[in-house]
Amino acid sequence: MSTLLTLSGVQHHYGRGTRAVAAVGPLDLHVNAGEFVVVVGPSGSGKSTLLRLIAGFEHPSTGTVELAGQPPVPGRDVGVVFQQPRLFPWRSVDGNINAALRWAGVPRADRAAASVDLLAKVGLSGLGARRVWEISGGQQQRVAIARALAARPRLLLLDEPFAALDALTRERLQEDVRTLTNRDGQGAVFVTHSVDEAVFLATRIIVLTDRPGRIAADIAVPLPRTGVPAAELRAWPEYAALRGQVAAAVRATLTEVEERV
Amino acid sequence: MSTEVTERPVVTSRPRGSARRARVFTRPALALLALLVLVGIWQLVALARIWPEQLLPTPGQVWHQLLVTSDSGNGQGGYGGSTLWERLGVSLRRVAYGSVYGIGIGVGLGLLMGLVPAVRATVEPLVTFLRALPPLAYLSLLVIWFGIDEEPKVYLLMIAAFPPVAVATAAAVTGVNRQYVEAARALGARGWQVVASVILPASAPEILTGVRLAVGIAYGSVVAAETVNGADGIGGMVLNAQRYNQTSVVILGLVVIGVTGLLIDSLLVALSRLLSPWRGRA
Repeated sequence: MSTLLTLSGVQHHYGRGTRAVAAVGPLDLHVNAGEFVVVVGPSGSGKSTLLRLIAGFEHPSTGTVELAGQPPVPGRDVGVVFQQPRLFPWRSVDGNINAALRWAGVPRADRAAASVDLLAKVGLSGLGARRVWEISGGQQQRVAIARALAARPRLLLLDEPFAALDALTRERLQEDVRTLTNRDGQGAVFVTHSVDEAVFLATRIIVLTDRPGRIAADIAVPLPRTGVPAAELRAWPEYAALRGQVAAAVRATLTEVEERV
Repeated sequence: MSTEVTERPVVTSRPRGSARRARVFTRPALALLALLVLVGIWQLVALARIWPEQLLPTPGQVWHQLLVTSDSGNGQGGYGGSTLWERLGVSLRRVAYGSVYGIGIGVGLGLLMGLVPAVRATVEPLVTFLRALPPLAYLSLLVIWFGIDEEPKVYLLMIAAFPPVAVATAAAVTGVNRQYVEAARALGARGWQVVASVILPASAPEILTGVRLAVGIAYGSVVAAETVNGADGIGGMVLNAQRYNQTSVVILGLVVIGVTGLLIDSLLVALSRLLSPWRGRA
């Protein structure tokens, strides 16, 4: 597999001089095409900052971020799904997806068909004409995912996208995202503080330390991506073992904090 | 027949007794009642002849003036050569031109002010200064510069209309939720795409509030604009009638201006609901 994303010696801090707060790093990370990397860590471990650096919204104070050999530019090669759907309320569901297609450079003639495909992909066929406030929170997040996929990004970044949803909706979205992203060799970096979500979604889990976030553990998840129903998978002993392993790694970062304080 | 039957329960479910009596006093009903009471008091005071007829005509006399000035065949072509409605049309056209120019300049300038801090720092004091000036005060200058035809009147209304739009637009643009802008950038939107597809629509509800304010100010300034060679408008009619102590015509003018202003305002409220249905929802 080819390397999609490379972070080398990345460090990031907010503010200047003596009041600078270190948020991330130093940190090295490679993500290959087709990998679904889930970043887990306690609150304030710089997970979101890491994602913003990869998306190109911020530039690292030191070190380099390279996406397919280039410094990342927002909207090029990456799709971002935020914690809040951030849909444009002045546009319909279709309007939101069409805007994304237009900005991605999809010709006008192809947009209608592409929009239908994207809605079908996230399980919202027929809801294109709806106003965004007329659909549920889970559906809104599905539209946000469809919108992020519009440009066929090589890498999808998701910043705790299901944190604000109820448990049932969250599980259904987790299942759909899991099957969605392993289809076309796309990479994904998904940030969460839920250990179960990490084990369920990831092909590889990165556990971050407390602020400034460094890599505390890099755990491969050798669970099957297809063919096993979600409920069954969650009952597997391997699944439980991985959960335990990741939870222990996360807990270890917390102990470090307590010892330091 | 069947539709009548299905609609009936709504009617029969009306509250009875005292509750039913209370329902009669809905807001529009109360407003209408207050208006009738006011006209009634006016009628009584006018009939009591505390003041002479030249100072306080009766509602009936004002109504009579409405009929007279609406009649182009009354020997003086309505009032002073044109009917009340022709005059209203002339004034409304001035307001429309002044408002449209003012809104155009206001949105453009407000957008620049909101997007470029340097422009805001430079232009904001000037806009605030213009806003503080009563339109009648700069009319003299406009007359010197542009003569006494339509230009100074439309320019006056334009100058009166653009500051509230500029201020509202600038505030709206700086207040746009950064999350939308970031989401658009994450989707590949650049420069003007972000402005046209995110910043402007996100600002629309607030801009429309500024527009409502601006049209109100422009409309309120039309009488001032017609003080110089504006006898063909409704404001001109009021000014002219004042010269000849035609109190009933003055009152008629005021009522027409007021009612029209209210109608325009409700139209703008309806328009802003239509254009920004998401307001308060996201």
